[in-house]
Formats: sequence, structure tokens, C-alpha cells
Amino acid sequence: MKPVAAFVLVGAALAVAPFLGLPAFYESFLYLVFSWVVLATSWNLLSGYAGYFSFGHAAFFGAGVYATAVLGGKLGWSLLATLPLAAGVPALLGVTLGAVIFRVRALRGELFAVLTLAVTFVVSTIVLNTPIDGGPGVMLSAVSIPKLAPSPSGTFYLMALILALISVYISYRVYHSRFGTGLFAIHDDEEVAEVMGVPTYRFKLGAFALSCALAGLAGGIHGVFVSYVTVAETFGHWLALYVILMAAIGGTRHWLGPALGAALVTTLLYAFTASEHALGGRAVVGLVLILVILFLPQGLLGRFSRRAAFPRKELIPPDASIAVANKERLLVIRGASKAFKGVQALAGVDLEVRRGEILGLVGPNGSGKSTLINVVSGHYPLDGGSIVFEGREIAGEAPHRIASGGIARTYQIPRPFAHLSVLENVALPPMFGRVAMDRGRAESEAWRWLEFTNLSGKAGRLPAELNLHERKFLELARALASRPKLLFLDEVLSGMTPSEMDEAIRLVRAIREQGATIVFVEHVMRAVMELTDRVVVLTNGRTIAEGVPREVMRNPQVIDAYLGAAHA
Amino acid sequence: MLEARGLRAGYGAAPAIRDVSLDVGQGDLVVVVGPNGAGKTTLINAIAGLHRIESGRLVFSGTNISDLPPHRFCDQGIALVPEGRRLFTGMSVRENLELGAYGSAAKPHRAQAMQRVLALFPMLGAKLRALAGTLSGGQQQMLAIGRALMARPRLLLLDEPSLGLAPTIVIEMFRIIREVNQDGVAVLLVEQNVAMALQLARRAYVLEEGRIVAQGSPQELASQPDIQRAYLGH
Amino acid sequence: MPSAALLGQSLLAGIFAGALYGLLGLGLTLSWGMLRQINLAHFALVFLGGYLTYQLAAAGFDPLATLALIAPAFFILGVALHALLARFKVGILNTLLVTYGFTVMLESLLQWIWSADYRRMDSHYGAVKWKVGELFVSLPELITLAIACATALAMWAVLRYTDLGKALRAIAEDAPMAAAFGVNHKLLSLLLSGLCAALAAVAGTCLALTYTLAPSQMYAWIGVVFAVVMIGGLGNPLGPLVAGLAIGVSEALTMAITAPAWAPLVSFSLLIGALLVRPQRF
Repeated sequence: MKPVAAFVLVGAALAVAPFLGLPAFYESFLYLVFSWVVLATSWNLLSGYAGYFSFGHAAFFGAGVYATAVLGGKLGWSLLATLPLAAGVPALLGVTLGAVIFRVRALRGELFAVLTLAVTFVVSTIVLNTPIDGGPGVMLSAVSIPKLAPSPSGTFYLMALILALISVYISYRVYHSRFGTGLFAIHDDEEVAEVMGVPTYRFKLGAFALSCALAGLAGGIHGVFVSYVTVAETFGHWLALYVILMAAIGGTRHWLGPALGAALVTTLLYAFTASEHALGGRAVVGLVLILVILFLPQGLLGRFSRRAAFPRKELIPPDASIAVANKERLLVIRGASKAFKGVQALAGVDLEVRRGEILGLVGPNGSGKSTLINVVSGHYPLDGGSIVFEGREIAGEAPHRIASGGIARTYQIPRPFAHLSVLENVALPPMFGRVAMDRGRAESEAWRWLEFTNLSGKAGRLPAELNLHERKFLELARALASRPKLLFLDEVLSGMTPSEMDEAIRLVRAIREQGATIVFVEHVMRAVMELTDRVVVLTNGRTIAEGVPREVMRNPQVIDAYLGAAHA
Repeated sequence: MLEARGLRAGYGAAPAIRDVSLDVGQGDLVVVVGPNGAGKTTLINAIAGLHRIESGRLVFSGTNISDLPPHRFCDQGIALVPEGRRLFTGMSVRENLELGAYGSAAKPHRAQAMQRVLALFPMLGAKLRALAGTLSGGQQQMLAIGRALMARPRLLLLDEPSLGLAPTIVIEMFRIIREVNQDGVAVLLVEQNVAMALQLARRAYVLEEGRIVAQGSPQELASQPDIQRAYLGH
Repeated sequence: MPSAALLGQSLLAGIFAGALYGLLGLGLTLSWGMLRQINLAHFALVFLGGYLTYQLAAAGFDPLATLALIAPAFFILGVALHALLARFKVGILNTLLVTYGFTVMLESLLQWIWSADYRRMDSHYGAVKWKVGELFVSLPELITLAIACATALAMWAVLRYTDLGKALRAIAEDAPMAAAFGVNHKLLSLLLSGLCAALAAVAGTCLALTYTLAPSQMYAWIGVVFAVVMIGGLGNPLGPLVAGLAIGVSEALTMAITAPAWAPLVSFSLLIGALLVRPQRF
């Protein structure tokens, strides 16, 4: 059954309740459950999926409450008329904040949490002290609501139900989409996601805007439900923390997790309140939060949060349009220099890569090889010099643009996305690379590269379950999946047994036959000798020799750099 | 003095070192060479107590230290100069040195040790108040060695001390290491700069892909093709 | 424009409030900066300490003397908390959540024992007031100021000059390397966590001396104390005090010149500003 149909069915089943003479108390209780479902699910879009834990959800809920309060309570609009602004104002607030905050690399993790907490206090103070509220609160009992059900409480039930269904559906769709994959990648390793082509800034802003809009809608409706809003009640600290609790219990990596958590926690709280043990109830909620974080950090649905792979479709034949070796200059680096805290990692490197060749990049430890790769792929900005790729200057470009231009790299110490399966890891670059594909096509593409690297048997596993050699091949498959024109392999062979190495060498040759140009950074000399057409030697951040492998490695300067004068 | 037998350590299914056995005698100067990724740092860290030993035995002066908690290694008489120096960059030069002598065995002799270290590294004396993070690469390396010497070790471990340093500084540093060794401190040095290392050592081991593939005196090893092959591929 | 006397009194009020911010922030900045734990339950502990002081004072003890009992007990709580967080290898963001759970539990406990009513401790200290020129100063406020300065300076001196302090700073930077030189970082971390909890007890006693207690009130302090901790620099014992005095005074002057309700904006704007302009500091 198609997902939309399932949601509509569930919705229809639940929507019948108000017409069956359900007591108002239950309608109100279920309204609250649905409202918390919206809040927890909307929070999870940014904070659960992308890992940016916000402690300020109350700010956006409150912005929605007060948008409706001002328009409805003070200016007489009907509830439905206020809803677009109840969504729009918080979204605008969120986007404005995000535009500034997400630019600053250091403001992640706990700092983002504290910052969003501060935002709530600021917003609430402003609302309290300006004519928006001013102090006495706002009466909303006169705001007209649509007549969807026999009673007002029934109407609120239905409105909250519809909003909850929409929120959970959005959560579901994002979860299965390219957008969602990008968000999960950001969660696991934002830098690598950026280098693989995910437009991290835009995606974070998008998730944030969506999250704030939904929270605002819940707020607008809630304001009229309680019919009298005050700053203290609206921006209370507990809202921010309850949504975290709900999402954590249900599972932040699953689309239904927050909804499940919301239902459980709301029921638990009200069971206690009803039995006059409200205090005890709150203490139990605190205890549950602690137990969940310590023992069940993935939440109840955590185990089920692996997205089912799309069925295997027809494999896409190799792209014949990638040109074969023609000696044209693909990448030209001139005078590249880069320093870190006083250490000059690159001191004016000159290097050329010709289309279709396998270029070996060698040099003693600390000579600058990894830094060079990092600089070309956009991890670090260049201090000086230029990098021209296919005639275009790329020094200073955003990493994800460089990636979509056709440059890919592997990491010396593999950095797979820990919570994405092997298949999803490899499917990510095709989704965001040069030829941006949707999830289905990207996964087919991924299968191809998994077969190429002999990993198809482990497609559904998590990277942690692979051994080192398999993880290196995963790095390789992931880099290849974006069909790069230029591929940087950073010490792919280190740590491998001789037979694993033979397999890897075979693979690298096959990659070149597919039309990619390869820069091969290695310490294992026999592989360098076997594979490379040309070799460039780096020492102390400079190029000291270049040419055919056999000649270069007999060059006295090179021998000196590696072994010292004793062996020359 | 130090006996390692069948050491195995590393990450998960593919250990970085497997079945490594070596000896360092009293006052010895032993060097372990090998290409990048061979497992040198894991080996040194395991001997220093920074890295858990999965199987095998580590015996120092007759005491089995394989299962000792990390903070007890220093009192046994083992001090480490780690790869990348790992100084306490937010603290001053003096404080870094003082921390070297934090261990209960070394603390009573701190003033004396400080004098000796400053005599060995006069340029540190001029910079006692400076934050460790503001020193140059060479100075930081000297400070790291000084810090280790403050612990009055019987065995000094050094992990790639020449990394990132200019050749003249490397020569000076190796001279100091030789001097320290002549004072009676055993030295185990892990290096990628083979020429310098072999000039310094009395005995050497070659580590490749986590295993010892050759050992002997520097002369013996230089004539064997093992090292050349390991580094240059031919 | 208010009169000079009013401004002066506001200034004093700001200084005393700031001193208390500093005292509250001391335990928090040490555990965040040196142990990588964001202990939200610090505030609940402070209030628990305050209530215990109140209760023991009602039974006839001198409020300051009650610390002899409360501080050691809290020390043990602090050790237990760190042991728990270390045992489960709780990451820094999750420590915020776990300690929030403890906060909620403690708040319920406080409300259960002492109810939600406001409680004001009567002590002989409270009765002592002096008049300095046109301004009034009360003894409890002076005591708080003195204790805040003394503890901050003491912690600063310990960290700066003693071997123990240097070991703690080394642990904060590179715990395995500190261990390589004999520092038992597991033990020292437990002790530091205990100390932070004991400092919460001290803050609680001062709080009880100068303010009215109610369980829900603990949340009112979270925002501004986080602000002084972060602006003052994580792990710096003098930071919260200096930042606290600055913020306390600005808040008080804002209140005197404009309206009281705008005061919270001061600390948060400063915090947001600090985070955006120089996030690397954190």
C-alpha cells in the first residue's frame, strides 16, 4: 500500500472519534497527545536527523502562539486566517537565526544547544515587554474557529490530528528522501558530507525552517485551545526539554520515534496528574530520561531505524563520455602554500595531473601529501597559490561545489558515516555529486560499485561491522560512486596484507580503465612502482622530483629524503 | 631490563602490531624503524602504558607490567616522548617540566632534575614563563624530551622525534639523546628517518605491517636488503 | 533619571547579585571546563543545599555552620555523579540531558518535602544592616560577597600554584598524557566533581541567607549563570565572578534606568554576542 494511502486511512479512522460521542475530556487529552506529536516530530527534523540539538523549540512554538494571539486576539482574525503567519513568523525567525549560526563552524553540539536556550529567553523577554503581550497575557476566547466537529473540543481534536498527520508524514518523507540522507550524513560527519557534495548550509536551514513552521502552527492552535496565553506559560522551560525527552525515548533517528515518545510521555504524565501524583509523575519522567540516555540511547525505535534499501534495478552501464587518456592537463597546481599554527605544511607546491594517468604522490612522513589532498578537495583554504581544474580556478570554492565539479577523495583513516549502512554510504555521493540522482537511481549506482569492490555481501551492514581492509574498500567505493573525473587515493593500501593489496592494485587499474584520472598517495613502494605512470616526490612541503617511477626512485635526492645519506 | 613477548595491540579485528617481541637491556640504545603504518606508534604507546595490550607479556625489571593502569607506568621508571610532542600547550614551559616530575618517585628530586634538564637544554631556561604552545617545533621537541627526563626514567621512549624538524635540529637532538643514554638511561626510539636512527643505535629492529621482520646491529641491517625494500620498494 | 542614591543602591544590589552569580557559576565552570560535563543539576543541588540550610537553621543551627554537614554530603553526591557519567561514557551533550533528568527529580523531591510555598530563612545575620552614607548594606549580602570572592580566589590559586591544580589543568588538556606522567586522572576527576558539588552547597547556603526559596525558582538562575560561565571562559575560576559582577551591575543599572523586565536581556544578549563573535574560545 502506498504510504500516502496508509496515512489517510489512519487519519480517517482517528477522525471518526469526535462524531461518536467521545467525552470532551478524552477529546482534549488526545488533542494534547497530537499537539505534542507535532512538537516532538518537528523538533526531530533538525535536531534528531541532523544532530543539531536545539534547546529553544519553545521560542518557535511561542512565536506561533503570539502570532495568532496578536492577529486573532487583538485584531480579530479567525484562527484559520492566522495560521499562515503562525507558521511563517517562526520559520522566518528560525531562518534568520540559522543564517548566522550555521555559518560559524564552531557553533555545534553543546554550544548550539546553549545558544538556542538563550534565544528562548530573549524572545520571551521581548514578547513580555512589548505591546505583543506587555504583561497581562492575551485573551483568545473570542477567536473564531472553524466548525469541523459537533463540539469545540472535537474541532481542536481534528485540527491537531490533521497537523499531527502532516508532521509525521513530512517526517516520513524526509526520512526516505535525498534531503533526509543528507541530514543524516551531516549528523555523522558534517565535514565529510560537505566534501561529498551535500549542501550542508542549505539543508540545515531547510530543516530548521520546516521545524519552526510546524512548531508555530501547533502554537497558534494551542493558543486558541487554552484561550488565554501568558509569556510564562508559553515559553516555559519544560517544553524544550519534554520534546527532547519524547524524541529520545521514541528514537531520534526514526521518523515515527518522536510521535511514539510523545504519546507515551503525555499518557504517562497525565496518568500521574489524574491520580494526584503529579509531582511523582514529573520525577518519574526525569528518571525515564536518565535511563533512556544511559541504557537506550537509540530510543525504542532505534533498532528499526535502518531505511530499507530500494529494490535493485537495472544497473546503469558505464559512462562512456568520460574521455580516455589524452595527456591534457586536468589539474594544475602552482605555488600552493598552507601553514598551520606555524608549521609550513605546503611551501609552494607545483604539480600537474594529466588526464587519464595514474600519478603517484610520494614523500616521507610529514611532507605535505595529505595536506595537499585536503586543500584540493576544499577541506582547508589555501594560503597562497592557485589550483586550476579543467581550466577553472577552484581554490577557495566550497567543498561541495568542488565535489560536484568531479573531484573525489578517500581518507587515510576511513571516515564512513557511522549510522548509515554500507549501501547508503556509497549511495550518497551519486545523490549529491556531479550527476545528482534521486535515491533509487543512486542506490542502483551504489550496487555497481559495491560489486566492483566485492562488498555487495555487506551492503546492509553498518561500517563498524567491517574490518579495516573492507572499510578502506568502502572508502574507495564511496569515492568512485560519484563518477569523478579526478580521484585522490590517500594511503589506501596501508594496513593491508599482501593479498589484499594485490586485490586493491587490480581495482585501481580497473578504475583507470573506466576513465578516471587517479592521484595515488602511497608509502607502499612496490604498489607505486607497479601502478603509476608518473611519480611526484614531496619533501617538506615542496616538490623535489618528478618523472617515471623507476628513475625517480633512484634519484639520489629522493633516496636521501627517505633514508638519509647513509643509503645513497 | 625491558622484555616484550608476543605483544598484540591495535584496533578491532586487524591489530596494528601482532606477535612483537623485543628486548632493551640496561643502558641500551635500541631503535625500531619501519615505514608509515607499520605500527610503530602503537608499539611505543603499548610499552608506555597508553595503549591496552591485548595479548602478550611486558616485563620491566622483573615486574610484569602488562596489566598495570596507565598512571603507574611512570613510577616504574618509564617515560614517554610521544609522537607530535603532546605538550600541555596551555601551560608554561616550567609547568610542563614540573608535571614531568609529578610521579611520587620523581617528585622529591624535582629541583635537581630541573637543574639537569635546563643544563641540557639551555634555551628552555630562557623561556620558562612562555606558554608551551608558543614555542617553535624544535623547542617543543626539546621541551617534550625535557619533560620526560624530569621523571628520572630508567627507560626513555621516543616516538618519531625527528618528525617535522629541520635537519640541523635533528642532529642536535640526537646528540642529546646519545648524551642521556651515556648517563645510563636506556633508550627505545622509533623512527622513520633510517639513516640517523641507524647511526645512533646499538641495536635495531625493523617493523613492517605490525611484525618484526629483521633485527640486529646497524651494520648488519644496512647490508641486508630488508630496509631498502621496505622503504623504496626495490 | 533616578537619583544618585537610587543609582548607588542599584549598583550595590548589582554587585551582590553578581557575586552570587559568580558563586553559582564556579562549580559549573569547573565541571564544564575541566571535566567536560555540563551539570544542569548544579542548580537543583544549590537549592537543595539552600533548603537544607533553611531546615537546619530552623532547628537552631547557625546557617553558616550547617555547611560542615552539608558540604561533605554533597561532595559524595558529586563523586557519585561523575562516577555514573564516566561509567557510561556519557558524551558532553548527553550529560546535559542526564543532569536535566536529575534536576527534574530533585525539583520534585524539594517540592514534596518543602511544598511549593516560598520559604524565607530567619537568621540573626539577616537582622544586621549598616548605613554607609545614603546606602544600605546588609550582612548576609556582605557574607555572600566575601565567600564568593574567597572561593573564586582560592580555586584560582589552587589551579595556578599547586601541584594538584597543575595536574587538573593537564588532565583537562590531555588526560592520557597526564596519566603517562603519573597523574591518576580518574581519581582526580572524581575529586573535582565532588568539590564542585560541595561548592554548590556553599552557594546554596548563601542563597538561603539572601533570597526566598521556592523549587520553581531554580530555573530562573539557569540562564544568567550559564551566561556568566561562558562569558567568563570555561574552566576559569575567576571568570564567573568577574563576568557575574559585570552582568549584575549592568542588569541593576538597566533596571533602575529603564524597566525591571528588560534586565534578563542584558545577560543573554552578551552571551549571544560572545558566542557569535568568538566561538573558538569555548
